[in-house]
Amino acid sequence: MEFDLSTLGIVFALLGAVSAALMAGIGSAIGVGLAGQAAAGVVTEDPGLFGKSLILQLLPGTQGIYGLLIGFITLTQIGILGGDPNISFQKGLLYFVACLPMAFVGLTSARWQARASVASLGLLAKKPDQFGKAMIFPAMVETYAVLALLISILSIFSIGGLDI
Amino acid sequence: MAVLVMKRINIYALKSNRKKILEALQLKGAVQLKSEQLDMKNFAKTDTSSAMATFEKNAQVNQSAVDELDKLVEPPKVFLSMFAGKEPVSAEGYNRVAEKAADVTQSAYKLTAAAKRITDNEADITRLETQIAALEPWAALDVPMRMLATKSTSIYIGSFPEELTESDTKQRLAEAFPEGDAIDVEVISAMKMQTNVFIVASAKYGPKLEAALRSLGFAYPPSPPKIPPKEQIKTLEGRIDELKAEIASSEKEIKSYSAMRADFLLTHDYFLTRAEKYNALGELWQSRHVFVISGYIPEIDSENVRKVLEAEFEAFVELEDVAENEDAPVKLKNGGFSAPVESVVEAYSLPGKGEIDPSKVMSIFYYVLFGIMLADAAYGLLMTVACAVLLKIFPHMSSNMRRAVRMFRNCGISTIFWGAMFGSYFGDAIPIVAETFFNTQLSIPPLWFNPLDRPMQLLVFSLLVGIIHIFTGLTMKLYTLVKQKQYKDILYDVIFWYMLVGGLIVAFISTSMFTSMTQITISLPPIVTTICLAAAGVGAVGIIATAGRESRNPGKRILKGLYGLYNLSGYLSDILSYSRLLALGLAASVISSVFNQMGAMFGGGVVGAIAFAIVFLIGHTLNIAINILGSYVHTNRLQFVEFFGKFYEGGGNKFEPFSEKTKYYNFTEEK
Repeated sequence: MEFDLSTLGIVFALLGAVSAALMAGIGSAIGVGLAGQAAAGVVTEDPGLFGKSLILQLLPGTQGIYGLLIGFITLTQIGILGGDPNISFQKGLLYFVACLPMAFVGLTSARWQARASVASLGLLAKKPDQFGKAMIFPAMVETYAVLALLISILSIFSIGGLDI
Repeated sequence: MAVLVMKRINIYALKSNRKKILEALQLKGAVQLKSEQLDMKNFAKTDTSSAMATFEKNAQVNQSAVDELDKLVEPPKVFLSMFAGKEPVSAEGYNRVAEKAADVTQSAYKLTAAAKRITDNEADITRLETQIAALEPWAALDVPMRMLATKSTSIYIGSFPEELTESDTKQRLAEAFPEGDAIDVEVISAMKMQTNVFIVASAKYGPKLEAALRSLGFAYPPSPPKIPPKEQIKTLEGRIDELKAEIASSEKEIKSYSAMRADFLLTHDYFLTRAEKYNALGELWQSRHVFVISGYIPEIDSENVRKVLEAEFEAFVELEDVAENEDAPVKLKNGGFSAPVESVVEAYSLPGKGEIDPSKVMSIFYYVLFGIMLADAAYGLLMTVACAVLLKIFPHMSSNMRRAVRMFRNCGISTIFWGAMFGSYFGDAIPIVAETFFNTQLSIPPLWFNPLDRPMQLLVFSLLVGIIHIFTGLTMKLYTLVKQKQYKDILYDVIFWYMLVGGLIVAFISTSMFTSMTQITISLPPIVTTICLAAAGVGAVGIIATAGRESRNPGKRILKGLYGLYNLSGYLSDILSYSRLLALGLAASVISSVFNQMGAMFGGGVVGAIAFAIVFLIGHTLNIAINILGSYVHTNRLQFVEFFGKFYEGGGNKFEPFSEKTKYYNFTEEK
C-alpha cells in the first residue's frame, strides 16, 4: 500500500484530543493526590474541617475535567464519535496544535495549583475562619488553565469552518 | 450598603443590679464590651478568672460525659445535621437548667469517672495479657519458676536464644561443660529464637556450670512468678475476668445515663454562658456600690437598650459618638437580597474605617456571574429547590449557614435564568432523550442564543459584563472618595481612568480588528472615535501627571506617573479575566452533553432507558458538584481580585457582642 500523507489527518487530530485529556488528567491526578495528603493531615487535627479541606483538595482537579472536555469536543468535531472521520492532513495538525494549550498548561497548572492548595490547607489548619482567603490562592493558578481552555475551545470550534 | 453606625455606650448602675444587667445585656447580645482605663479612686476590676475556670471545667465535664456516652449509645442521628443549628430554649427552660445544673454535673462527674475506670481497666487487661503471653511458653512447667535448688542439686530455669531440641541442648552443654555428667536437661518449649529449658544438675558444679550455660546464651526469665506458671496464668486470667466484669458494670452505669444526654448538653451550654458572663464581670470597673461598663453598640439598638436599662434596672446610660481616630467594630446590615453575600465580604475583609459596605452592589454581580458560569436551568432549579427545602425544614439554622444557603438559593435562581437564556436543561438532555427513546425532535430553544454555536458572541458578552463590573468598581471608588471628601482624588484616580479605559474600549470596538474577530460590525461615526481617542489621550496625560503626586521631585513624579499608566495592562488583563465566564459556562454544558451522549450510547428500549438513567444520575451529580464548586470559587475570585481591587481594602474588625456563646442550644428571652 502506498503511503498517503493525507490519511494521517485523523491520527494527528486524535493525538491532540488524547493528549489534552492525558496530560491534563495526569496533572490533576498528581495535584489532587498531593492536596489530598495534606487534607488528610488537616482532618486528623480537626475532623470538622473535612468539607473545607475537600474543597481545597478538589481545586487542582478541574484541569483534568477541562482536558476531558477538550478531548471530547475534539472527538465529536473530527467525527470519531459518529460522523465523517475524513479530515485533511492540515486540519488534523491544526486540531493537534489546538489541543496543546490545554495539554501543557493543564499538566503544569494542576501541579502548581496543588502546591498552593497544600499551603492553603496549612493556613486552614491554623486559621479555619480564613477559608475564603485560603481558597483564593490556589484559584489564582487556575486562571491560566481557564485561559488555555478558552484558547483550545475557540481554536477547535473555528477549525471546523476552515476550508482546507 | 450599610455599615452600621456604632455608638460608644457607658452604663453606670448600682452593684445590686449588676447580675440582672449583665444577664439582660448577654441575652440581647447588642453590646461589645470594651472597658477604658478608668483613673478614679475607689474603682477597681475584680479578678473573676478562678470562677471562670470552674465554670469552664464544669462545661468540659458535661461535654466529656456526652462524648463517653456517645461511644456506647449511638447518639440520635439528625439528617443533614450540619444545617440543623441550635435549638431554642425558653427563659423558663433556662431556669430549669440552672436549677438542675449542679445535679446534672454531679452525674456527669460520675459518668466520666466510670469512663475513666473503663480505660484504666482496659490498660490493665492489656498489661495482664502481655504477662500471660510471656508465661505461656512455660505452661508445661509444673514447678514454680523461682525454684532455685535443693540440698544436693542446682536448678536452672531459663532460655537459650535459638530453637533447639533436647538432644541439641545436651550436646552443646556437653561441649561447653565436658565434666558435667550429672545433668538433666528438659526442654519445656521451643520456638523460633527461644528455647525454654529446665535443667537439674548436681550442686557440686556450682557457678562453673552457670558460667558454661551463660556462654551458650542462657538467660533467666525476667520477673518469674512465685507459683508455677500454669497457676499464675490462671490467676491472671481470673483477674482479667474480674476487670472485664468491672468494665461491663461501668458500661452499664454509663448507659443508665443515656436519658440525660440532652441535660448534659444543656448544662454544658449553661456553664459556658456563665463563664462568658464572669468574663464580662471581670471587665467591669466597680466601687463599693456602683459599677461602670463601656463598650460599642450599633446606633439602631442603642435607644432600645438605653430604655430597658434605665426603666428596669435604674441604670444611667450614656451614648456618645465614636471618636474620629477610634477603630470601632464593624457590623453590616443589608436587606434580604444582599445580606447572604455578607459572608463573602467577611471572608475577604470587613470594611475598614471610612470605607463603604460593598455587599449590595456586589450581590447583584455575584448572582449574575455565578449564573453565567453555571448556566443550566435544571441545575439552577435543583439548587434553588434544595436550598429552599433546607431553609424550610431547619428553622433554627445558624445565621452563617442560613446566609450561605440563601446565597446559593439566589445563585440558583440566577442560574435558572441564564440557563433558559442559553437553552441548557441538563445540557442537551431533552433533545437526546427525545431522539433516543421517542424518535422525535424536541428541544427548548434558547431565549437568547446557544453558546456552543456562537462561542465568540458569549465571549464578547462575558468581556462586556467584565467591563461593566470593573467600571462599577471604579464608581464605587468614586463614591468612597466623595464620602471621604477627597475631591481631587476623584479626578486623578477615577475620572482619568474612566476616560482612558472607556475611550480606548469604544475606539477599539469600531476597528476592523474587532469586526474580524467577532463578526460583529459596529460602525461609529469617525468623529466619535476621534473624541474617544482624544479622551483617552487626556486621561493618559492626566495619569502620567498625577499618579506620582506623592513625590516632590518632578523627575521622579513623571517616572511614577508613567508607571501608573502601566496599570492599563492591569485593566486589560482584568477584562480578559472575565473570559472565564465563557470557559466555565461551556465546560458545564459540554460535560453534561458528554454524559447525556454516553447514556444514549446504549440505545433505546428498557435496557437503554435504565442505562441512561444510571449514567445520567451519576454523571450529572458529578457535574453539578464540580461546577457549583468552580462557579463559587471563580465568582469569588472575580469579586475579590477584579472588583475589590478597584476600590476596596477592608481591614475592619468584626463586631463581637457580649452574648451567649453556646454550642448546642440557644437561650432566648421568650417565656
